[in-house]
Amino acid sequence: MNAFEFQHQQLSRRALFGQGAVGIGSLALGSLMASQQPDPLAPALPHFAPKARRVIYLLQNGAPSHVDLFDYKPLLKQRHGMQIPESVVGGKRFSTMTGGQAARPVLGEITQFSRHGQSGATVSSFLPRIGAMADELCFIKSMHTTQVNHAPAITFLMTGGEQAGRPAMGAWLSYGLGSETEDLPAFVVMTSRDKEASCGQIFYDFYWGSGFLPSKYQGVKFRGSGDPVLYLSNPDGMSRELRRTMLDGLGELNAIKLRDHGDPETATRIAQYEMAYRMQSSVPELTDLSNEPKHILDMYGPDVLRQGSYAYNCLMARRLAERGVRFVQLMHAGWDQHRNLNTQLKIQCTDVDAPSAALVKDLKQRGLLEDTLVIWGGEFGRTPFLQGDITNTKQWGRDHHPYAFTIWMAGGGIRAGMTHGESDEFGFNAAKDKVHIHDLQATIMHLMGIDHERFTFRFQGRQFRLTDVHGEVVKPVLA
Amino acid sequence: MKGFTFLLTLAIALPCRAAVDFSRDIQPILSENCYHCHGPDANHRKADLRLDDEKAAKTGKIILPGKANESELIHRIVSDDPDEVMPTPKSNRKLTDSQKKLLKQWIAEGANWGKHWAFEPVIRPKVPTGAKHPIDAFVRQKLAEVGLEPNPPARRETLVRRLSLDLIGLPPDPAEKSEPTALIEKLLSSVHFGERWAWEWLDAARYADTNGYQGDPERTMWPWRDWVVSAINANMPYDQFTVWQIAGDLLPNATEEQKIATGFNRNHMINGEGGRIAEETRVENVMDRVETTGTVWLGLTMQCTKCHDHKFDPLTMRDYYALYDAFNQTSEDGVARSGQAAPAMDLSTPDELERSKKAEAMVHAIANELDAFELKKFPRPAGRPLTESAAIDLPGNLPAYIAKTVPRNRGVDPLLEAIGYFKDKDSEYTKLLQRLLAAQREKLAAKNAVTKVMIMDTLPKLRETYQLEKGAYDKPTTTKVSFTTPAVLPPLADGAPKNRLGLAQWLVSRQNPLTARVTVNRFWQSIFGVGLVKTAEDFGVQGEVPPHRELLDWLAAEFMESGWDVKRLLRLIVTSETYQQSSEHVVRASARSEGVKKNGLKPELQTDPENRLLARGPRFRMPAWMLRDQALALSGLLNPKLGGPGVKPYQPEGIWEEATFGKKTYQQDHGEALYRRTLYVFWRRIVGPTLLFDNSTRQVCAVKTSRTNTPLHALVTLNDTTFVEAARVLSEKVLHLSGDDETHLKQAFQIVTHREPKADELGVLRRQLLALRQQAASGASKLLKVGEAKTDPALKPAEHAAWTSLCLMLLNLDEVVSKE
Repeated sequence: MNAFEFQHQQLSRRALFGQGAVGIGSLALGSLMASQQPDPLAPALPHFAPKARRVIYLLQNGAPSHVDLFDYKPLLKQRHGMQIPESVVGGKRFSTMTGGQAARPVLGEITQFSRHGQSGATVSSFLPRIGAMADELCFIKSMHTTQVNHAPAITFLMTGGEQAGRPAMGAWLSYGLGSETEDLPAFVVMTSRDKEASCGQIFYDFYWGSGFLPSKYQGVKFRGSGDPVLYLSNPDGMSRELRRTMLDGLGELNAIKLRDHGDPETATRIAQYEMAYRMQSSVPELTDLSNEPKHILDMYGPDVLRQGSYAYNCLMARRLAERGVRFVQLMHAGWDQHRNLNTQLKIQCTDVDAPSAALVKDLKQRGLLEDTLVIWGGEFGRTPFLQGDITNTKQWGRDHHPYAFTIWMAGGGIRAGMTHGESDEFGFNAAKDKVHIHDLQATIMHLMGIDHERFTFRFQGRQFRLTDVHGEVVKPVLA
Repeated sequence: MKGFTFLLTLAIALPCRAAVDFSRDIQPILSENCYHCHGPDANHRKADLRLDDEKAAKTGKIILPGKANESELIHRIVSDDPDEVMPTPKSNRKLTDSQKKLLKQWIAEGANWGKHWAFEPVIRPKVPTGAKHPIDAFVRQKLAEVGLEPNPPARRETLVRRLSLDLIGLPPDPAEKSEPTALIEKLLSSVHFGERWAWEWLDAARYADTNGYQGDPERTMWPWRDWVVSAINANMPYDQFTVWQIAGDLLPNATEEQKIATGFNRNHMINGEGGRIAEETRVENVMDRVETTGTVWLGLTMQCTKCHDHKFDPLTMRDYYALYDAFNQTSEDGVARSGQAAPAMDLSTPDELERSKKAEAMVHAIANELDAFELKKFPRPAGRPLTESAAIDLPGNLPAYIAKTVPRNRGVDPLLEAIGYFKDKDSEYTKLLQRLLAAQREKLAAKNAVTKVMIMDTLPKLRETYQLEKGAYDKPTTTKVSFTTPAVLPPLADGAPKNRLGLAQWLVSRQNPLTARVTVNRFWQSIFGVGLVKTAEDFGVQGEVPPHRELLDWLAAEFMESGWDVKRLLRLIVTSETYQQSSEHVVRASARSEGVKKNGLKPELQTDPENRLLARGPRFRMPAWMLRDQALALSGLLNPKLGGPGVKPYQPEGIWEEATFGKKTYQQDHGEALYRRTLYVFWRRIVGPTLLFDNSTRQVCAVKTSRTNTPLHALVTLNDTTFVEAARVLSEKVLHLSGDDETHLKQAFQIVTHREPKADELGVLRRQLLALRQQAASGASKLLKVGEAKTDPALKPAEHAAWTSLCLMLLNLDEVVSKE
């Protein structure tokens, strides 16, 4: 058999990618990123029937103020301006921004709370659309974490470890479960920030890193401008046809190499280049919004067509979910109101409210919410007491607060229209049905059909898992 | 894939065993399945039973040597009762039948105990007979056991390319005619040798050009990097290389060079996030040094012992904090003001200082203009501050940023926010603010470019070190610890200094069982793709017991006894037939069926996908940095200049801006800086060079880089400007050679692969050229403008574009992206 025949028999694109991919094709695919197969070295998953097939994590980077937005505590207004009791604070540590502050006056919420829907969830007037969706959502008001600074807290939330170097949740899931798409990465990350550009939290790549898992499982960051995927476009002056011709030649020469040298890696290489070519058309198709009807675009709000905005990213998250992407990590910065609570929180909420609600609604009307898990929340909450000077209302702020905060979840396997857990009367400490970050992670894994204690990866001699040696599934929130 | 899982147990499956060997056969089973609850960690030990200690394990009825059936251990592992069976079903661990059989056999044979192999002294094993070269002798012996034969030697041109890529990280000159033996010497003495071998060291040292974290300030550690390159080029013995980097400042009359070398321990990230507690950062830095030292020299996972005694290795929290104490004595305070946090060595030049002075003056001048402008914009009584004007009522942070801060003190963040606010409201004011922003950025950049190398020093009054509860900086326990080395390893020499110098000398003493093994293994890993110990980062009991343990020990002994001579070690490796054999995947089984029968080997092993048996030469996709260097070299663009500050080659637009919210702007270099080796590419820690895939992120110490294949990698080498430009310049080089299409095709192929094309390959190339010619004309003028290198106007654009595409294809061949 000459190389030509060999290539046509073994390596035609149909043989490589068709339903009945066999032989070299499946061998090669097994080691590529976009494979439908989970990693050959991963334990057999799922452990049990999953409730959700994919996750969209709307990470509110910078930490939204739970006491202004969700966790209604009448006592705060009653005690406004009075010192928060030491019995509540109990020697806890804060960031250096208020760690040394002598006075810790209680700061009443700057918004209006009202009850929403059948479930009667309390949501701030700053988030009317999210409030209107309350019956689809499950609020957890007893979240708590260990870190008082952004980067370690976000790292902890997304990777289970406080310092850089552990695999992110999305990496774990694509490693263990594989992907449902061959044309797109299994784990996609998008970032945006508030229009005011008020904050400076950086999106570190270790928030979506693969840690000690093979690096093909790291999140692929879709960029906010230009090519969504780095190096996606052909060089200037090289048409798609020319690229095709070039890849045909490349495939033929590689097939000769495979015939003569026999390294299975060469087959992988051939598949890898073909997938790259396909991604060059599937990504532009993904980002082409011309077929989205006006009423859908309107739902996501005025920024929806601006690449890199939160609204655009929410719409993109739905499109990625439709196409089988396993984990979408959408990060939106601008919640870090140390000195601008009164001026910025409302703007920030306006940016986020409609798109977040629209995403849940849009998924629901397409039947996708059933098996898509949506999570909305920050890395911690904000202090129920004031950062700053109480007489200077324009510069009111709240500091980082890991001891209680609120998140909400919706969709795949989550009980809709409920509130789980409580913080104390100051919104200071998680008080009832406390949910630790590792519990949340265990719950997400559970919904994906995974026993978090049994999903491990051996590295440096230890069986590592997302939840370290902790974490309990939060059963009451399960549907 | 079956082969994969099978090979994980290779160490156990391989030897045809006469007697059970504790370290090789038993300890891995006990460690993996039992130590978690019955191991070294006293605080979490269950049932007061420990199986990591011979005396304890043989007390009572647990293990009765010679009496397998009466031993409780055997009883428990074969039990059907879920409440009784071990490991308990809850543990997610399970023994296989062959493991149970092994444990039984071991106890029946007397339950001989041993130390973990890597903690045993390095004793030079006897070289087996049967081959001239010691490496080959060890490898052939093992191959004979499984009935495999080595591959024949690689073709000469393949070997030349392999040697060149391995030793200097660059492809051979097409005109390279030296015989391999001469070539090896030439490469070992090339100045590019140090550049190539610095790469892995920089990964291990988590070297980068910024701090990481918020603000990600620039640092100037490049003199340290240049020191590494020159030390490697000078073949500085590895023991000295170690001592200088860990404790150069403590040597008598330490030289500037010796102090610069200590920058190794300042290369870690520094968290300067707003609100960050300085002491927390300082403690984190000290821990990073302990853990990096553990990984790089000892191959031990010290980080486990930060919070508790090790679950598997005989390492305690006390061991951790005893090492911590050695690194806890520098004057650094944890405040991340800049990338040049004290203690730092001032290596500034007059030019750098002049630039800084100028930038300062510029800020001053524009600030004065702003002062004048703001007097009008925010009217207030004469002589009164801005806080008494309308500026105090601006929204958000602006009262603090503008009203309370005089112009010359406004930094980048405040100015960005102010510009954002005023841009639609007052264009004249915005322009002034923008000018100030530019000046402030230049001032900062100039200040950060004044070369200062962060180094190690020692406080006049030493800190007291206490064990920290769960490693929390603010939770010291009452257990005071002072420096010593881990108890399980040989002690410090009598009279050794009780500080970093003592530590460094201990690491490289002949008695240390780990350093040489771990180091030799890393060199092996770079060359063969997988280390002799696959877990290059872990030589503890959970690490892999190397299938070629004797070879590793022999190399380690040879390395130490040669005076830690790195070039000698590499020469030894690359002169072996094992290294020089062909990398073709052909199973050469002399007695394959017998091998299978005799040793119970599964047939899958014969294909040995990771080449652990070394029946073929190494073949794997080169690291991304080497791909870029190769493309530059093949095209002739490579600028061979050594050393100096980092350079900024092509990068897609907006990467830094997006990652830093516009606070950092990537200012691409031009001219010859575009073509420097990748070693010199500026590394912003929070968003590293975009064209490097599968590399360490340089955030924490990494001694094992990952090798994966994703479509995204293909997109880099197909579309990145560097590669397209290299293809264009390469095609120009080919077209300038005399000859017709046929000759040019052969020459292009020959340059990139370092061999002649075969007849069928040439056939493909011919057809390609015709097809590309038909399609290349339309976009030719654009394609020829990719990259800044000049294009020869005498070449016909359509023709040049067709050849550019052809060369880009060649640069992407599997053979070309692989070291073969």
